[in-house]
Amino acid sequence: MLGLGLGIGSIALFSACTPTDTSPLADGKPEQGGVLTYFEPQTWTLLYPPSVGFYPNGGIMNNISARLLWQDPKTLELHPWLATELPETNADATTYTFTLRHGVTYSDGTPLTPANVAKNFDLYGKGDEARTLPVSEQISNYERSEVLDDRRVRFHFSAPSPGFAQATSTMNAGLLSDSTLDLDAEGFGPGGAKQIHTCGPFHITDETIGTKLSVRAREDYDWAPPHLKHQGRAHLDGIDYLTNNEYSVRIGAVLSGQADGVRDVQAPDESRVTEQGLRLYAKATNGINNSINFRFRHDLLADLDVRRALIAAVDRQEIVDKLFTPNYPLATGLLAKGAMGYKDQSGSWVYDPDEADRLLDKAGWSERNSAGYRVKDGQLLALTVNIALPQPRSNEVQTLIQQQLRRVGVRLSINPGDQSKQTLDALELDTVQIYHSMVARADFDNLRSNYSSVNRDVFLNGPDRTDADDDSVDPKVDELLDALAAEPDAKKRQRAAERVQDYLVDQAYVLPFFEEPQVFAFRRRVHGFATEPVGRPDFYSTWLAGEK
Amino acid sequence: MILDIRYLALRLGQAILVLLLAFTAAFILLSLIPGDGVTARFADPALGLSPDQIAQIREATGADDSWITRYLLSLSGFLTGDFGYSVQTGAAVSTIIAAALPSTAVLAASGFVTAVVLAVIIAVLATSGPAAGPLSWIRRILDSVPSLFISIPVFWLGILLIQVFSFQLGFVSVVNPGPAEALVLPTLTVAVPLSAPIAQVLIRSITEVQASGFVKVTAAKGASQTWLLVHTVARNAVLPGLTIIGLVFGELVAGAVVTETVFGRNGIGLITAQAVTHRDNPILLAVVVIATFGYVIINLVVDLLYPVIDVRLRTKRSAASANKALRTHDEPTRRALTASAASVGVDLDWAQTPGDTESKGRES
Repeated sequence: MLGLGLGIGSIALFSACTPTDTSPLADGKPEQGGVLTYFEPQTWTLLYPPSVGFYPNGGIMNNISARLLWQDPKTLELHPWLATELPETNADATTYTFTLRHGVTYSDGTPLTPANVAKNFDLYGKGDEARTLPVSEQISNYERSEVLDDRRVRFHFSAPSPGFAQATSTMNAGLLSDSTLDLDAEGFGPGGAKQIHTCGPFHITDETIGTKLSVRAREDYDWAPPHLKHQGRAHLDGIDYLTNNEYSVRIGAVLSGQADGVRDVQAPDESRVTEQGLRLYAKATNGINNSINFRFRHDLLADLDVRRALIAAVDRQEIVDKLFTPNYPLATGLLAKGAMGYKDQSGSWVYDPDEADRLLDKAGWSERNSAGYRVKDGQLLALTVNIALPQPRSNEVQTLIQQQLRRVGVRLSINPGDQSKQTLDALELDTVQIYHSMVARADFDNLRSNYSSVNRDVFLNGPDRTDADDDSVDPKVDELLDALAAEPDAKKRQRAAERVQDYLVDQAYVLPFFEEPQVFAFRRRVHGFATEPVGRPDFYSTWLAGEK
Repeated sequence: MILDIRYLALRLGQAILVLLLAFTAAFILLSLIPGDGVTARFADPALGLSPDQIAQIREATGADDSWITRYLLSLSGFLTGDFGYSVQTGAAVSTIIAAALPSTAVLAASGFVTAVVLAVIIAVLATSGPAAGPLSWIRRILDSVPSLFISIPVFWLGILLIQVFSFQLGFVSVVNPGPAEALVLPTLTVAVPLSAPIAQVLIRSITEVQASGFVKVTAAKGASQTWLLVHTVARNAVLPGLTIIGLVFGELVAGAVVTETVFGRNGIGLITAQAVTHRDNPILLAVVVIATFGYVIINLVVDLLYPVIDVRLRTKRSAASANKALRTHDEPTRRALTASAASVGVDLDWAQTPGDTESKGRES
């Protein structure tokens, strides 16, 4: 994107004369009505639920779709939504039976039926390559569906799938009407938004490709999660999702009162937002922390001492203090405190440059070249890290680490390029050896999604690579993750998740930086803003003051 | 008639060749970039797909076919009006382009007209003030306006305009603006740098024409400054301006990329910026072809306008057709007419034989 640095300078120049927002902050009785205008940095790309991990997609899907279960964003407990109760499951978590609520309809008027729900999960669980609709990464071992009667549907799995109940609660399993499920990838893309029929509190009514998507409240929506106090239709009349790639324009539109809200407020601007009297929300994403992963299959990172030295050479506190705000808490584990499976490992990453020097000398990197970088047998200790463009200030974080590693004689290069180049380069061990990333899902399976060689595979730990021998694979990582994925009992899952984290920490495979929030700014007239468990906006109970 | 059908046909043939070459060059260059959109999209960690699943999708989308197969497939698609599908979103390229083109066309047209008006105003003011004396500084300042305008970064200007006129003064809204409201600031953003080369060329050519003999003669006959400018100077000074107008069209497209991004206008520029980020080659190919098409058409129009504006540039036969009426005149009259025509820069080309004129001549 055109990240135009000068723009920030010019807003700083002018912000002094923008009037501050002085509307009352206190929440009263919710008022009905009004359309909320909300800015996203990028346009949505695909409203196919398994692909809504991309934030702009998820911010829409979370508000237009309803799911079988509802996950409490605070406790992460599951509650019924379109299912009348939590699913019945067998002991080894290979079958799940859901009983559906009566009277639920999609925005095209068709009813929610067991056959329709079955059709949804057949697509999400298996994918359809011919239509380039991929399988959902959250549903593993899916085999088939079975309609039991006019209220009940059962799902069968080829192996234990204990994460499935939670998977049915995420927006990646938002239910679609039959006609929508027959669309191909083109139908889910820009230009076809009005064909997407869902059964959430809002439905899509208008689309201007590339700049705007309008959703409006459904008057007949009467199937909110019973756990919520708010029932019936949404308070808002609707939401206009606007897109502008230019950060200074998005934030300026909210500061000047032209728009009601904006996602992705950058850390240096937080103080300005609060000084102007606006509401600032830093919502936890409850997932894997913002981290760098050491790809141990590369020759230079194969040595445990080298990885430990790199960790000792990085001053995480300096990163958080210099580049971020208290809304970005220093990581105390591989997972955020609010994530399922969290284990406190806060003593594991101590900044100690002397120890780093000692470990590197011990590993045979004692010689230095004229520029001060370490060499061994003529080889330079030089590594490359990607820029995680969706993550906050990734480039700045890496620049700071570059300086810190420079002090212990390690050369770090930052891989340049746009999103596609970063994605493609990150697949090559020779191009990117240190991988910066984060991922959020409020389930134990999040660990597997991130570290397993069959999912995101941050370590490039799969066999049959051309750039690494098969015997450099660490089979223990996948073994521990498979054990976690196959464990149906929640308490045992916690222990399995801790074993995974212990192993990754002992092997010095990962260095986590901070718990990554989603930061939003809203005008004071916007009340009751909430997010779902991983920080996507949830506007169902949001209301605007003074619309009448 | 000023337009020559054979010339037109030739130029159209050239235009088609240029389009084909641009398409081919763009295709080859895009194929040379390592990594393609299908991998870029589906290997994105946000989807969490395994390498096997990605390989299946690559096969289903034909991303692994040889480049020549893909080239012929896209070319035949383009010839039949089927631009294919966006790799990033799966939407039909024609849908995306159709949504973006009108907004860019409106912005281009309004930006272009504004730029020309701005350029003419600058050029006239910069050349009509006193060249010497106590007020000559006005002229010097105006003379340097084009250099200033061309140096302003488009994105900076756009952001500055938004900050001042929208966020501070509240004249226009960036959220849900009306069609005219949405156009004002982007038009200015596009027009300012675009007007610079046009104004510069106009200033130079007006200065040159003002110094030529026939202007002095007309002035000596008692024509006023304004009359001179409108009737004598303008017509002769406009040609270089016209040439530069044809050339700056390319800048208009480049300016649209930044302007549309800053103002969040869904146009060709914005989708280009996004397509580049996502290696969305089908969209980029379509954009290249459309931009080339626009460029070719604008320059064709400019070329065809030359003889309309300047009699000297009409083909010999059309100039000669003017002879018809004069043919019967006696030799002294001819000589007198030639002299006066030459003083306003028109070559009457008496050397043509009457027979020649009749066989090829067309009425102008």
